[in-house]
Amino acid sequence: MRPPPLQGLRVLDFGQMIAVPYVTQVLGWLGAEIILVENPHLQSVRILPPYAEGVRGINRSGGFNMMSTNKRSLVLDIGVPEGLAVAKRLAAISDVVVENFTTGVADKLGLAYEDIRAVRPDVVYLSVAAFGRSGPLKNFAGFHSVVNLFTGVAATTGYPGGHPRILGGFPPDFIGGCASLLAVLQAVRHRARTGEGQSVETSMTEAFTTFIPQAVADYSLHGVEPKAVGNRHPTQAPHGIYVCRGDQRWIAISVHNDEAWAALCDVAGRPGWRDDSRFATAADRCANVEALEPLIEEWTRNEDAPALAERLQRAGVRASEVLDSAGTLTDEHLLDRGFVATVDHPEVGSRPMGITAWRIDGERPSAFTPAPLLGEHSRAILGDLLRMDTGEIDDLVRRGIVIAHEDAAEAVKD
Amino acid sequence: MTGALSDIRVIEVGDHVSGPYAARLLADAGADVIKVEPPSGDSARHVGPFPGPDGDPDWSGLFAYLNWSKRGAALDLDDPAGRATLDEFLAVADVLVINLPLADLERLGLRYDRLRRLNPTLIVTAITPFGLTGPKSDYAGDDLIAVASGGLAYASPGVPDMPADAYAEPPIRADTPMGDLLAGIQAATATIVALEMRAFDGAGAEVDVSAQESVAAIMTWEVAHASYHESKTRDPVVAGAQPNTYLPCQDGYVVLAAFLDHHWRGLVKAMGSPDWGDLEVFDTGAERALNWDVLGPLIGEWAMQHSGEEIARLCHENHVPSFPAYGIGDMMRHEHVRERGYLRSWPAPDGKDLKLPGFPACLSKTPLREPAPWPAIGEHNADLLHGLLGKPPGGAP
Repeated sequence: MRPPPLQGLRVLDFGQMIAVPYVTQVLGWLGAEIILVENPHLQSVRILPPYAEGVRGINRSGGFNMMSTNKRSLVLDIGVPEGLAVAKRLAAISDVVVENFTTGVADKLGLAYEDIRAVRPDVVYLSVAAFGRSGPLKNFAGFHSVVNLFTGVAATTGYPGGHPRILGGFPPDFIGGCASLLAVLQAVRHRARTGEGQSVETSMTEAFTTFIPQAVADYSLHGVEPKAVGNRHPTQAPHGIYVCRGDQRWIAISVHNDEAWAALCDVAGRPGWRDDSRFATAADRCANVEALEPLIEEWTRNEDAPALAERLQRAGVRASEVLDSAGTLTDEHLLDRGFVATVDHPEVGSRPMGITAWRIDGERPSAFTPAPLLGEHSRAILGDLLRMDTGEIDDLVRRGIVIAHEDAAEAVKD
Repeated sequence: MTGALSDIRVIEVGDHVSGPYAARLLADAGADVIKVEPPSGDSARHVGPFPGPDGDPDWSGLFAYLNWSKRGAALDLDDPAGRATLDEFLAVADVLVINLPLADLERLGLRYDRLRRLNPTLIVTAITPFGLTGPKSDYAGDDLIAVASGGLAYASPGVPDMPADAYAEPPIRADTPMGDLLAGIQAATATIVALEMRAFDGAGAEVDVSAQESVAAIMTWEVAHASYHESKTRDPVVAGAQPNTYLPCQDGYVVLAAFLDHHWRGLVKAMGSPDWGDLEVFDTGAERALNWDVLGPLIGEWAMQHSGEEIARLCHENHVPSFPAYGIGDMMRHEHVRERGYLRSWPAPDGKDLKLPGFPACLSKTPLREPAPWPAIGEHNADLLHGLLGKPPGGAP
């Protein structure tokens, strides 16, 4: 039996919001030890909804808890010298250090790559910023919406004739995380083979722009901006998302050739469509898409989305129910493949979450610890890793530099 | 300095987006990537944009982007001789990246149970629309199906741009292959994980990457709603904290993300400190959400008096995240993008300049490889068959 691939790798995590927490979440699933350094002032995802059952609480944020399994929590004020000194001592015994502070903050604190390298020469250091760490916008705060709009991804998204739209689910942060994870794993591999550390810098906007190659190429070659086309395709039709029976239910249908069109007409029981010269070829269907789509929707609106998707797939037509957030957790196929793991959390109980997009030899990560309660491991981390004695730790706690779990309720009281 | 995978050889049997992109990311990391195409070429060669009107398959912008830094071999896998040559490549490879449909993997004998006997150290990374197992494993898919089945479409448009009407603005996809590209990046990531596992005991592995899961795996925040409270609908809601809003301005649209209290105070200053900015009913993010029916129009009125660029500048001066909706040209011309040297550029036919997105990450000791040209169909057949496989020169593949 192989050990988890990153067992023995210690990661010191100054990550905030989503991009870096996503990286360390996956590293934790792969067996790395993650020390999450939390800010006692708590402008963090812990204070963002959704909360368990809608009840606000510092250990109840779904966003935080679902990105923080397999992490340990140290609440440490790195804004004061004693706290910062503790952070540096932890960095000196970590293999990987990750941060997405506002540009300039790590330098000011003395937690930049060069500072850490001085105490840990072989460190792998990941720095993520919305616009990267250089250039005129390096200080620009970049929430996901800003990244959607700056990159032009929003310009590729829109209903026919409409204005640029912003994708949901914070994909710039997660895709910035995916790009960072890929780079960090390269650095970790190089370190395992040579003993050499390095710095890795990722820009969320640059990561998101890697997802629009055709729009960039088209503009460079022809000076053409993307058109808002909804879900339509330039050479295939129907290619879209159509309403189904029920409350906010839709189906995606992608007819990629004329055989699939004939098959769709059969499934729909509309032989007339097949004989209609407006829809004979893909080019005809694209030219007459304004006439075609209402007919499709008139049919789908009385159908059950998953059942119709299955009938279309069996007939050779690409189709899927449009899954919502609950659907991801209950989809029979995803459950069968082990995409959903359930983790028991001491305060909010059992909660399902999606895990890795891949299986290796049929296996996914299977060892999970729940997201830490605020400061749950503060004492253990300081005691076990830094060999601080109880008196020293008590002193830091009393002065508010460290919050330990048993004091957390008091410390974060409004 | 060379990339972290400069000791790794990858054979790609890829088509269109996901497989080719996974292999290209590995090439960026220094791997020697050999792209195996049918004699008719990868289908992405026929998808533009192209510099000229003739649709030259060597000048598809999409193909160029997904296939730079690779060598190309043309093999007909429907011919037993082509399959035998592929086996010879796989015998000397570390990784196979493949994104053919499951039925084709079976038909061509490219499932892991056979390939592991051919080369026990081989990592086989197979990308399929719904994965290699499960009740939907034989379902067909493409990018639309991936973003629909993975949850991204349902969530979009999303906060701070929720649909004004759930039905009039149905689930939407960006007009770019985001799901397939995600599958590519997830597959490249998983391949490196499998290489780390191989370092432990020398054994290869089957890496099963689902495009559906590649999207679903980044929808954590949406899924958290269902897991922790209630499933999100597409109804327009003013939730959480405000202002986190996307609104029309004088010359387009602009976003304001000032829901944290210190950002709100910055926004009030940016708006010229109007009297209502100090009202107690707007004190906290939650109160601002509760009273959004009053606050939203006040902010909207201010926004309509300024251009998107002015609003962003005023906000930035006060440390508030804000940005106007850019076109692709605005982004490409921006001094920030130019100064960082982000875009890649090639002289193209007809005197054109083909630009493509560059790298999202910079590694100081194992830098990503400067892109080398993408291959023509079968461009390196002779080199590879003779040089790598030791076949006599001049023979058929």
